[in-house]
Amino acid sequence: MNQVVAIALNTFRETIRDRVLTVIVLFALVMIVAGLWLGSISLEQQGRMMKDFGLVAVTGFGVIVAAFIAATLVRKEVEKRTVFVLFSKPVSRAAFVGGKFLGLAATLAAVIGGMGLFLFVLTLLVGGGASGMVLVATALIYLQVLTVVAVVVFFSTVTSAILASMLGLGVFVAGQLSHNVLSLSRVGAGALTEAVSWVVFVVIPNFNAVDVKAAAVGEMTVDWGSVALWAGYLVAYMGVALAAASFVMRRKEF
Amino acid sequence: MSSTSPEAQHLVRLSGVTKTVHVGLRRRPVTILHGVDLAVGHGDVFGLIGPNGAGKTTTVKVLLGLMAPSGGTVALRVDGLGAVGYLPENPYFYDYLSGREFLSFCARLFGLGAGERKARADSLLRDVGLEAAADVHLRKYSKGMLQRIGIAQALINDPQLVLLDEPMTGLDPIGRIEVKRIIQRLHDQGRTVLFNSHILTDVEELCTRIAVMKGGRIVWSGTVAEALADSPEGLEVFFMRAVGAEPGAGFGDGRPAVVGEMPS
Repeated sequence: MNQVVAIALNTFRETIRDRVLTVIVLFALVMIVAGLWLGSISLEQQGRMMKDFGLVAVTGFGVIVAAFIAATLVRKEVEKRTVFVLFSKPVSRAAFVGGKFLGLAATLAAVIGGMGLFLFVLTLLVGGGASGMVLVATALIYLQVLTVVAVVVFFSTVTSAILASMLGLGVFVAGQLSHNVLSLSRVGAGALTEAVSWVVFVVIPNFNAVDVKAAAVGEMTVDWGSVALWAGYLVAYMGVALAAASFVMRRKEF
Repeated sequence: MSSTSPEAQHLVRLSGVTKTVHVGLRRRPVTILHGVDLAVGHGDVFGLIGPNGAGKTTTVKVLLGLMAPSGGTVALRVDGLGAVGYLPENPYFYDYLSGREFLSFCARLFGLGAGERKARADSLLRDVGLEAAADVHLRKYSKGMLQRIGIAQALINDPQLVLLDEPMTGLDPIGRIEVKRIIQRLHDQGRTVLFNSHILTDVEELCTRIAVMKGGRIVWSGTVAEALADSPEGLEVFFMRAVGAEPGAGFGDGRPAVVGEMPS
């Protein structure tokens, strides 16, 4: 456990001191503020536009940070051979993977939490009808982004950093649409197609099921039981992805 | 330096260790180690020397478990990796950490408490002459400074066995003297040191025992005194003969250049 904490803290330092992250976060904040302008040109919809645009910005930049930083976390240690230093000490491969994931999770908590809070305060200041739902939506965005991190960490153990990033982004996009696959398969498709659709539905994380952005802007009501269930599914999904990454790392030679 | 390493006191023993890796799309097998036999006694300063590609680094990686041997046995008579310190060749560390933070991180991996981490880090920074640069980020360190912080991290756990892969590489003369002093001090404290090096004068000066590797095999092993008895001209001449770098040259007593003697 000591090793996991040490690696997590080190990863947190590594990522939070990364200038690329600073640039991405600043750009994201600018985008959120730009929502003010979009709101100002929409008739009586300023608050809704701001929250909508802001939450999309939080999601987009959160996923970009997750995909690109997570992919380099493991690969960089291997390519720059810092793993020699780690694995010549009593550090298990699972502790390495777990520590890396938790470290980036802490960084993303700071980044996404900060962006969500910024959006909340901004809507409060400009009278855009601030609601706690903005913060709840941000928390669920964080959960989706963490799932992408776990997926990217796994891919980065078996392929290059850039390909791992692309695959992570692909899983995120597919996860937004996976529920459609199931719906489409039910429209006049055979049993085999439906079975395959179910497999795709389970293998690709269903991000749409925990997406409450629309509820945050007052466009829908939320079935919290379903959200909790799917959130649990995403946590289990992360566990499987990280276990698979640890398994691959255990078999690697350096 | 003393040069005895009785069988019972071997801290490291490799017997018939082979390592084959598979390269390329066709997974072509390439054998790096061909039955390495090596014994390092408790308290020895052991020099593993050989030309580039001889298998020295692979031997060390197999010892550490960074690579699994394809055959043979590896025995480390220490209390797990917690009692081993390792400096990799051409080390790269975390750019965004200061020297002090890096040592503290390494100490934490061994489960040391906060007070002990600070004390060990401060002491080692002093030992390797990096006190003044303790709070400077590693990306601003010169190659020699990185080598020294690398040695410091290898000693953070107060190890019984220290493995140093090319510890003198990139060091200026003062840095080399400091590192040699550290190795000498470890020897005086009864620690066992195994290091790879191309700098034979350092090997001659520091080591109690040496092994010469060539083509994934140990081709000679013994004490420095034995090597110098074979080649009074010095260790460089001995090494050249041992690896067959002088065509037709022998040891002067009828033996071939590569004797294939295994460690005792």
